[in-house]
Amino acid sequence: MPAATGYAQAMGHHGELVQGLFEDTGGFLKRALVSLPCPELRAKASFQPDDSNRIITLQPDRHKALLAAELTVAAFGPQGMGGALSLESNIPIGRGMGSSTADVLASILAVADCLQITVCAEQVMHIAVCAETACDSTLFQQQAVLFAHREGLVVESFRKALPAMEVISIDTTPGATVDTLEFEPARYATAEIEAFRPIRSLLRAAINAADARMLGRAATASAHINQRFLPKPRLDEIEAIGARSGAVGVQVAHSGTVVGLMFDKRDADAPRNIGQALDMLRRSAFEPTVFHN
Amino acid sequence: MSKNQQMRKLEDFENPRIVPLQGTLFAASFFLMKLLPARFMLERATERGDLKPGATICESSSGTFGLALAMLAVQQHHPLLLVSDWALDRHLQRRLTELGARVSIVEVPAASGGLQRARLERLSAYLDDLPGSYWPCQYDNPDNPLSYGKVAALLIDRVGPVDCLVGPVGSGGSMCGIARNLRALFPELHTVGVDTPNSVLFGQPSGRINLSGLGGNILPANVDHTQFDEIHWLTPAEAYEATHDLHRRHGLFMGPTSGAAFRAAGWWADRNPGKTVIALMPDEGHRYVDTVYDPQWLASIPGWPNSVRDAPVTVSTPADPMPGWSRFEWNRRTLKAVLGPGDASI
Repeated sequence: MPAATGYAQAMGHHGELVQGLFEDTGGFLKRALVSLPCPELRAKASFQPDDSNRIITLQPDRHKALLAAELTVAAFGPQGMGGALSLESNIPIGRGMGSSTADVLASILAVADCLQITVCAEQVMHIAVCAETACDSTLFQQQAVLFAHREGLVVESFRKALPAMEVISIDTTPGATVDTLEFEPARYATAEIEAFRPIRSLLRAAINAADARMLGRAATASAHINQRFLPKPRLDEIEAIGARSGAVGVQVAHSGTVVGLMFDKRDADAPRNIGQALDMLRRSAFEPTVFHN
Repeated sequence: MSKNQQMRKLEDFENPRIVPLQGTLFAASFFLMKLLPARFMLERATERGDLKPGATICESSSGTFGLALAMLAVQQHHPLLLVSDWALDRHLQRRLTELGARVSIVEVPAASGGLQRARLERLSAYLDDLPGSYWPCQYDNPDNPLSYGKVAALLIDRVGPVDCLVGPVGSGGSMCGIARNLRALFPELHTVGVDTPNSVLFGQPSGRINLSGLGGNILPANVDHTQFDEIHWLTPAEAYEATHDLHRRHGLFMGPTSGAAFRAAGWWADRNPGKTVIALMPDEGHRYVDTVYDPQWLASIPGWPNSVRDAPVTVSTPADPMPGWSRFEWNRRTLKAVLGPGDASI
């Protein structure tokens, strides 16, 4: 039985750059997304093993993370292994920022750390989807992926990581929360399904060329389609401010409340543009914050 | 194999080849463009239950849409009935017949709407007679433009962001479908529609059209006028001359609507250096060896080769008489906004 406590972290995100329905290599349509990782937002898990054959957590509201730890122990741990799972996180809840998934991923990885094993991404994703029916793509840092979040499968792996961006975060409905898993998946119309094809092409071109400007356009188109399903109030006002302040696009949490104004980090004017956008947003009674991706 | 894959045996034929012409002007050259909307319309109709296995497909066509349907009908085991007119090329008719299509020829034009209207009237009678028959109706079927999202994706894959899209307009499917999908990503995209004199699509008074595949005497619902920034009208002689020029200068052996698109696209590209321009070229030249590519036949065309303009004349209204290549700044308006409320033809 391992004796040392395992530790791990997982990242939150600021919604998605793109989310929709995309053909896989077999010609089947899959729900898939590209998360916008947010390294400042993290869940940290620790797992202290014992031989009680039972896993406990002092945070009873984290039952999905607990289930993920149980599944990981069942898959890789020795007979009779139990332990105590503990979590802390600075990821806002119910905003579509991946708080629950980050708890789940950190828990799986903390158990793996405790067992001193490396679990491949496919297995981590499989356990995560079993524990909470969906997962995001924050685990894929070196290469961006188009990720089938309800199946835990990579639909397409791009050649590079996401280009560097600065994002102004705006919570469009600070009072309300969205239960990501209760929220019914979007029923896309044929026109929308076909529109996702060029969006995917531009997403691929943008990532492979490390071009934040093109990425902004793909994200904006995806955000517009999403307005029919989980509309973000005043999105048009945020876009107008972005257009006047050199933003490259908007992105949204497709199952949450946040909107991001995207800026190209390589643009020398970015800091000034962001300052200008923050002023305009505050004057329009938004409460913006900045994060780096 | 997915159901979609089973229906896409001819998929490699429906995608365009991208050919650089000059600078940042590219041809999107199709073997037979209509294979894409035809396949897509049949797929969606099958999904919805509108087209049952083995049911008869009926359509009015004297051109490439009929051929595309005939090729797909063979693959998917549907009987096909095509209503056409005397303008149907004899080689095409032979080919359609070999593909098992039943071809019904209309001889007499309708009092208004010409042969196109007369064909639709006969088609309607067949649809009534054949229970379970399915009419794709490329002019009004919203799946026609929707099918072109795939082409928009391919253009981005091959050339990146697109600044200007130029193409012939017949049903409106390709130009409006691609423009809408590209504009969701590049809102400033400039579009140039190519039409021909006597076609009602962009406000010319209706008259006899001698250039198949371009324009029409009936306004299709799939023509979304608000997608167009600029319209060019080329006479048949001008389109044929441009088709030969495309062949001689770039080696592309295409049909006359491709030539017309090439001419308008080249003109726009010359005036907008550095902009990425795509010219849609809907079909290859083989169907036209006895006509457009035959010097004797060409000699019988009014205005060949002397009345060909080498630049468009900008007109103040699309209702003006157009003896040669003309151009109008449409500015994404509706037909009504352009022609004014008093026009009776709308």
